[in-house]
Amino acid sequence: MSGSDKTWVGQSLSRKEEDRLLRGRGKFVDDIKLREMLYLRFVRSPYAHAKIVSIDTSAAEKIPGVICTLRGSEIASQTQPFIEIAPDPGGRIRDYPLAVSKVRYQGEPVVAVVAESPAIADDGAEAVLIEYEALDPVVDAEQALTDASILHEEAGTNKVWNGVFEYGDVEQAFRDAASIVEIDRMHFHRFSSTPLENNVVIGQWDPKDDHIHYWCNNSFPSFAIQFLAAHLQVHIDRIRVQTFDIGGSFGIKITSYPQMAVCALASKKAGGRPIKWVETRSEHMISSAHGNERTFRDTRVALDNQGVITAITSRHIDDCGAYPRYEPLGCVIWSQVFPGVYRFKNARIDFTQAVTNKCPVGPNRGYSRMQHLWFLERVVDICAHELGIPADEMRLRNYIRPEEFPYTTPNGCIYDSGNYPKMLEMAKQLIDWDGWKKKQADARKRGRMIGIGIGTTLDSGTNNFGQSQIVNPGAPFSGNSQGANCKLDIYGEVVVAVGSCPQGQGHETTAAQVVADVLNINPDLITVRTGFDTERNVHTGFSGTYASQFAVSGLSAVHGAAQKLKAEMKRLAAFVLACKEEDLEFGSGAQGPEVRSKSNGRSINYWGLANIVNVNSAVLSPELHDVTLNCRYVWRAPFKVPDTKKKYGNLTMTYASQLHIAVVEIDGETCIPKILDYVAVDDCGTVINPRIVEGQVYGATAHGIGAALLENCVYDEVGNMLTSTFSDYLPITPVNMPSVKYGHIATPSPHSYSGAKGMGEGGAAPIHTISAALQDALFDKRIFIQDSFNNPDSLFRALRGETCRAKDLVKVERRA
Amino acid sequence: MAIKFDGEFEVQRKLEDVYEFLVDPQRFAPLLPEFEGVSVHDAEHFSVRVRVGISHIKGVADVKMRLAEALRPERARYEGQGSVAGGNVSMIAGFDLSPAGDGTKVAWRGEAQVFGRLTSVAGGLLQPLGKKQIQKLIDSLQAALRASEGIS
Repeated sequence: MSGSDKTWVGQSLSRKEEDRLLRGRGKFVDDIKLREMLYLRFVRSPYAHAKIVSIDTSAAEKIPGVICTLRGSEIASQTQPFIEIAPDPGGRIRDYPLAVSKVRYQGEPVVAVVAESPAIADDGAEAVLIEYEALDPVVDAEQALTDASILHEEAGTNKVWNGVFEYGDVEQAFRDAASIVEIDRMHFHRFSSTPLENNVVIGQWDPKDDHIHYWCNNSFPSFAIQFLAAHLQVHIDRIRVQTFDIGGSFGIKITSYPQMAVCALASKKAGGRPIKWVETRSEHMISSAHGNERTFRDTRVALDNQGVITAITSRHIDDCGAYPRYEPLGCVIWSQVFPGVYRFKNARIDFTQAVTNKCPVGPNRGYSRMQHLWFLERVVDICAHELGIPADEMRLRNYIRPEEFPYTTPNGCIYDSGNYPKMLEMAKQLIDWDGWKKKQADARKRGRMIGIGIGTTLDSGTNNFGQSQIVNPGAPFSGNSQGANCKLDIYGEVVVAVGSCPQGQGHETTAAQVVADVLNINPDLITVRTGFDTERNVHTGFSGTYASQFAVSGLSAVHGAAQKLKAEMKRLAAFVLACKEEDLEFGSGAQGPEVRSKSNGRSINYWGLANIVNVNSAVLSPELHDVTLNCRYVWRAPFKVPDTKKKYGNLTMTYASQLHIAVVEIDGETCIPKILDYVAVDDCGTVINPRIVEGQVYGATAHGIGAALLENCVYDEVGNMLTSTFSDYLPITPVNMPSVKYGHIATPSPHSYSGAKGMGEGGAAPIHTISAALQDALFDKRIFIQDSFNNPDSLFRALRGETCRAKDLVKVERRA
Repeated sequence: MAIKFDGEFEVQRKLEDVYEFLVDPQRFAPLLPEFEGVSVHDAEHFSVRVRVGISHIKGVADVKMRLAEALRPERARYEGQGSVAGGNVSMIAGFDLSPAGDGTKVAWRGEAQVFGRLTSVAGGLLQPLGKKQIQKLIDSLQAALRASEGIS
């Protein structure tokens, strides 16, 4: 790109990572073999809720090759419970990585067995005898809130958190309404993620210096070490975490810190030998982390005589499983997208979170926001259907308008940019909206059930951790930051390190593109370090890869570090080349990347600059002694602490948006829903690498379709998880992935240096879109889609009139 | 996961004889499908070992049984709890006996709760398999009682 106005940012470069990963040369944690390494297996609870009467590990410990066992009581005696983010009552919960006196979900680890080989550890685990006394399980959040059976006696209640989010003048809006729509109950189902690589941890507690070393695939290590240091009662600087290539996370690897704690403690007990734990798929399904399940009760919607929504009230009940862990952050994170893409100003959401005897939840695929966005999209579609307004027209009447950006939401979030009507127009064009409307009408005459659904959603990225203070004013978190380091090493190679731990997002490539533009060199000349390492000293307390933020936080840090390096290189080159800094230009010459003087024609390549600073420093003048060519930069998001009483403030930097349209047919005999056509339009502002963005859009679309139609964590009435294998829990595959038409617009963000917005999670748009399409297909039968999960069985029951009858669930009051 | 079962049959045996049979672990327990052994601890407590398995998940279940209710000669009720491959099971099984002509009517009912990995990976199979095994038990019980019909 040298000598032209074109930049590397914006180019569809192939990912630097691809060659390594596609040839099987990636380095994953399980590839690591350490000397004297031992293997750990968990003995897990078969019960969802039970007292532990006795534990007998003697038979296991007699098996040759079993080194030791570890149980919860041992851990409790030498550690502190994990930090609880919640205030009381949730704050009183005592959470340890192994169950101490009772178990609270099926699959909860009770005993760890450490052995010389995985097979011996398995045998040891089978030999552990645990006697339980079953207790009444609670598998429904609304039931849990009755406190008939309490999970955590120390909390005294199953309620973790409650808060009311109220803005505007709700009562007046309802008094003035032309129509009021009431919806009794809606439910967002529980699903997880199925990364190719499960959780893996190697932990070593070195007895010589009490340092703990983790090789793992945790996706938010800077968060994990804060929890681990407090729990293990060690200085945080003594915990080293390294990540490598990671085979997907989708958020749920954030909460692997309990297993990390066990590995360290087991290593300590085993004399400091490294301990490897590799999670099986079934373990992953029953006990890693699931997404939040949420029930929406007593929703009331006020509308004017044009179908414009003026107010919404609702009660939301969130099920966080047996332990809050990362929660109750989900109780506030949804409010980053409080009004979704809509203009209503008056709202009251009464939000409560409860524990239940199910797997703990964790951040997952659009954490907490997707549940709320699905709720809003259902509200919009139900109101549109009930008032006889076409779904596209209903949205146009309610969308935030392009000229209103930056747009301040009722709760103080600032939407940076967007153009939802334009996205709708593009999506309609791509799918041939008018054509499908005609086909739909013809098909309906022949009794076919075809629906066309729209889902408009947001992918809010780079969040303000000050929102944690809305759930707990005592929480010590606010703002957001990311660190990066850019250096010329001794031989002049440009090396970049970032505090992220990518799991397929292409950070190596996009970071190189950004640095390449700063230094005006080819991205192939830039090495971006893979993975996270606390000892690189790059990270901040927010470092990791989560919540659609790398394009803003990560690349801003990289850009800042590259700018610092460039400034140092300029100072040094001006000294060496005997010219002014303004006279210098960056580029590539006969001897590789160089800095040259435009006036005297002299140049010095990167090796020359690095050589002077690192191994030839006697030639430096004293005023250049601060030049290191090793530049760390911390980017900080310009957030303020929110008003915790009013629950008001900016919670996110950027708002990427997605608009999807689906055409879905329900087979009249089998009730199998089939996607006939699908379009996804994305706006993530300035695009760093279109190929990567398009790939992420396809990935997020696949995940959303899977969640809408295939993936469901089902529990029976006593808390057995019935979908713990891929026989019952169906991740989407290419076989059931439809062809997706892709479109893109760009409304650059004024909140990031490049105009880019964080993206990748996709706002779960397909879940909203498919619910809308199914609703459209069934509306004339007065069937109301009240759940985010719809498979042939649930549609069969709805068509038989057993569930989802609109007359039982929706009421409309027309005043004008 | 709850597996519920009930039914009734008649045998040409005296009420007392049937009752004695049902409360005697040494005679009753071997009728259990895939029976491996029984250890009687006292008049009310015994342990049964049976082979259980679905597909590749196989193992031996150790079930501790208690004669929770013994109302001679018309009612016997067992409670049991044990571990099976990858899970636990708790069960209640009761028999109500009443005269039926020269013989006895046996009304049986029960419920088993299965917890753990077995349910997670094979939940869909448990209901039909459980009912099949229970039917085997009842068939064996009838056969055992009928084998000696009229003897006493």
